[in-house]
Amino acid sequence: MIEFVTANMAPLMFGALVLFLLMGFPVAFALAANGLFFGFIGIELGLLTPALAQALPERVFGIMRNDTLLAIPFFTFMGLILERSGMAEDLLDTIGQLFGPLRGGLAYAVIFVGALLAATTGVVAASVISMGLISLPIMLRYGYDRRIASGVIAASGTLAQIIPPSLVLIILADQLGRSVGDMYAGAMIPGLVLTALYAGYILLISIIRPEAVPALPPEARSLRGFKLAVRVVTTLVPPLFLIFLVLGTIFLGIATPTEGGAMGAAGAILLALAKRQLSWSLMRQAMDTTAKLSTFVVFILIGSTVFGLVFRAVNGDLWVEHLLTSLPGGQLGFLIVVNIMVFVLAFFLDFFELAFIIVPLLGPVADKLGIDLIWFGVLLGVNMQTSFMHPPFGFALFYLRSVAPRSDYLDKITGKMIPKVTTGQIYWGAVPFVIIQIIMVAIVIAFPSLIEAGLDRGTKVDLDKVKIEIPAMDTNDVAPPFGSTDDSANDIMKQLQQQK
Amino acid sequence: MRALLRLSGLIDAMNDGIGKLVYWLVLVAVVVSSGNAVVRYTFNSSSNAWLELQWYLFAAIFLLCSGYTFLRNEHIRIDIVLGRFSKRVQAVVDIFGIVAFLFPMALLIMVLSWPMAKDSFVTNEMSSDAGGLIRWPAKFLIPVGFFLLSAQGVSELIKRIAFLAGLIDEPGEKMHGHS
Amino acid sequence: QTNPEIKWRCASSFPKSLDTIYGGAEFVARRVAELTDGKFQIRVFAGGEIVPALQVLDAVKDNTIECGHTVSYYYVGKDPTFAFDSAMPFGLNARQQNAWMRHGGGLELMREFFAGYNIVQFSAGNTGTQMGGWFRKEIKTVEDLKGLKFRIGGYAGTIMSKLGVVPQQIGGGDIYPALEKGTIDGAEWVGPYDDEKLGFNKVAKYYYYPGWWEGGPQVSFLTNKAQYEALPKQYKVALETACAEATLDMIAKYDVQNMNALKSLVASGTQLRPYPNEVLQACYQAAIETYEAEAAKNEKFKKVFDQWRKFREDEYLWFRVAEYSFDRFVYAAPPLASKK
Ligand code: NA
Ligand code: NA
Repeated sequence: MIEFVTANMAPLMFGALVLFLLMGFPVAFALAANGLFFGFIGIELGLLTPALAQALPERVFGIMRNDTLLAIPFFTFMGLILERSGMAEDLLDTIGQLFGPLRGGLAYAVIFVGALLAATTGVVAASVISMGLISLPIMLRYGYDRRIASGVIAASGTLAQIIPPSLVLIILADQLGRSVGDMYAGAMIPGLVLTALYAGYILLISIIRPEAVPALPPEARSLRGFKLAVRVVTTLVPPLFLIFLVLGTIFLGIATPTEGGAMGAAGAILLALAKRQLSWSLMRQAMDTTAKLSTFVVFILIGSTVFGLVFRAVNGDLWVEHLLTSLPGGQLGFLIVVNIMVFVLAFFLDFFELAFIIVPLLGPVADKLGIDLIWFGVLLGVNMQTSFMHPPFGFALFYLRSVAPRSDYLDKITGKMIPKVTTGQIYWGAVPFVIIQIIMVAIVIAFPSLIEAGLDRGTKVDLDKVKIEIPAMDTNDVAPPFGSTDDSANDIMKQLQQQK
Repeated sequence: MRALLRLSGLIDAMNDGIGKLVYWLVLVAVVVSSGNAVVRYTFNSSSNAWLELQWYLFAAIFLLCSGYTFLRNEHIRIDIVLGRFSKRVQAVVDIFGIVAFLFPMALLIMVLSWPMAKDSFVTNEMSSDAGGLIRWPAKFLIPVGFFLLSAQGVSELIKRIAFLAGLIDEPGEKMHGHS
Repeated sequence: QTNPEIKWRCASSFPKSLDTIYGGAEFVARRVAELTDGKFQIRVFAGGEIVPALQVLDAVKDNTIECGHTVSYYYVGKDPTFAFDSAMPFGLNARQQNAWMRHGGGLELMREFFAGYNIVQFSAGNTGTQMGGWFRKEIKTVEDLKGLKFRIGGYAGTIMSKLGVVPQQIGGGDIYPALEKGTIDGAEWVGPYDDEKLGFNKVAKYYYYPGWWEGGPQVSFLTNKAQYEALPKQYKVALETACAEATLDMIAKYDVQNMNALKSLVASGTQLRPYPNEVLQACYQAAIETYEAEAAKNEKFKKVFDQWRKFREDEYLWFRVAEYSFDRFVYAAPPLASKK
């Protein structure tokens, strides 16, 4: 019995995690509790010592120091200001007017905005939360199928991690020993293809189930011709200004990507001020919600850091390694098995732990099989993107749940009662997009050229032919010793004599 | 039980007050971060202090608001199973969760982080980067944050028990939507 | 009498992608196991796997883990004296650092200092002189340093900020895009082999040398004092031997890898530039001021600094006589095969 437990701590931890999470207590605490529970068993079995627990506050401090996470409050705050001030509504309403007669117009707008946001942030939580805030109420108002509405938001939000810049790609590049720049370049085209696939799915739905993605009703399409054109210009200016603030300041070298998020948030405040739609009460609401959402997101990370520490301490990573070393040979066989395995493991581990535990093990094997590691990294990136969308443990689904209405509410514009969004609807909405991800994985495996095309490989050079002209230092003088102004430093004899 | 409910009320008021104070740091962080970018670009001047201040502020937000977020019942749950049960069952699950899940984790991290913060204070630990900030204020946020979370755990526990005993009508706040 | 089975965890400060420097800890682990018939096992964890990369010293001090592999100047925020254990700007090169540590009195001084942190430390690696960073624009005068936004950490950042450089220690994920778009003007990392993997050459053209703040940075193996003292004598010897060998091995490895990587960087269009003498001189003066100011207020620092400074001056004299003259001639002379 003891031996069985010792040898199978990892699968036991996975199994218990499912139970703990399904119990319905907050995810963050369930994750941590699962870690501590097995940590205690591990101590009893002699796998670790209580002293290791001291790593927990160190790891919390590590999370505090992670600047990248700042994108979460910044983008959430921006999204809230846009939503509460009615600017987001104006924007999506105008897009609705534009694409009014077109079925699925709002869904296309969401995908487009998702891709744009993805180009500014690599943090899925920031993207899903801000888009959920902005677009979900409007899609519900116009009668979109709630599964499709939530699915398209969650999926478009996960684009943040495949379209550069991206935290996942940075970690993958790091773990595979390739340059971040190459990884970004390689992921660009697959990211766009994926965006197109999402749009293609909406197109398909608009043909086979038109009532799920309705065109705007005629009464909502009040503007036409010149009036519409004026409206388009006036409502598109503010968001374009914001996009400039976020993307433009990064592009012009004013802000780092993290600061770009803050620029967007500051810009949203200025816009709301300019449109006289900003009140202190609105500001307080936005800050309040930002604080609470950021807290729950980071606490999930804290929970999973407890889980992750114990998982390693009880040799869970060795268990996974063992699983990996028994993989079949051959490029295609290897790729298929790896992808299935990552897909399954992603049910239990978040992408951070996945990247840290299995990628270093897979990298060398892939390399030996002659698989290009950039290609491999992008492939894993697309696959891990699904880990955000897997029901019931996809983080993107948690984020969307947190901003989707939990009870029926009265829509301000139409005065209609809008039913709440159930967790089940969010889960079912994600399923088609998980399937699209799997298709994308197959596409990446089948067409490595999608990645190659984005890469600047340079030409292979014969190192023996490279001539290096080394510019000479502009002096041969020797620096004087510390504290000495003696310019006789070049006279060694004199100095040695002085030493005596 | 009355005294306990009063304690619960005090804790709620404390975390409510702290949350409402701390959420202003969101605005401060936005101003600091965007301001640093603008000043660095226009005047070619800045300091690591500004960069570090960003994460100090964010850490203060999520650690000091941990109790407040729990008070508002906004730590996300997978409610697909639990949502089908009655409020009484949900209260029982929460009581179990607070005692078996939340307390061990929050108290352990609180206790273990204290010496780390104290050591940083005693030794005057600084950032190792030029112009960076002193470290103890950031490190003390950990024990304080997990204390606030534990305290809220106590309050929620009292409320759930009181609910089961029929003393109050609601077992704590409902999950909120943000529509 | 049989030796016991002992299992240690080692937290590295480095990611696995820095294979040479991370590999130093694995080298130690492997040699220790070989030298003890597999009875003393050390398992190495990359930065962040057990504790965050920059918390390794704290973790060893508190006995969270038994040992760690790190660079001591990461901890100058606790006390700048830590820098002597790795590299001081304008300090020693790899051979001199080794000389100071093994026979120049350095080890005794540093062991005494580390004892205050419950740590017994060993030299277990050295990268050799590093490069001076990647820049988007050329640096020709001291004036060019004013307002230069440079991602550089630690003590060197303090020194450069005296000359108007704006050290910006932006987050890991932001470095590449920030350098690409010019949000920062420069960033420094290690040397050609590691830098090439990050692809900085694709976003910044000029590659400066030398990394005067890291003439021969030592990588250290830290052990918790109580844990170390509890080891059987044979294991202590094994650990010491393995660490000494790791020092030798890492620098040999880097010296081979860097020579090839430099060629491939230049072939990809990288422009090599030496720091102008004027800039080096100004930085040098700023360094001296910084050290003297620190020594005036920090007893521990002063104690090591006084001995180190004397050693440095004496050692420089000796190196200038034979070593430097040899180097200067042979590097300027034509290749062996060609006749001119
Ligand atoms: Na992105
Ligand atoms: Na360096």
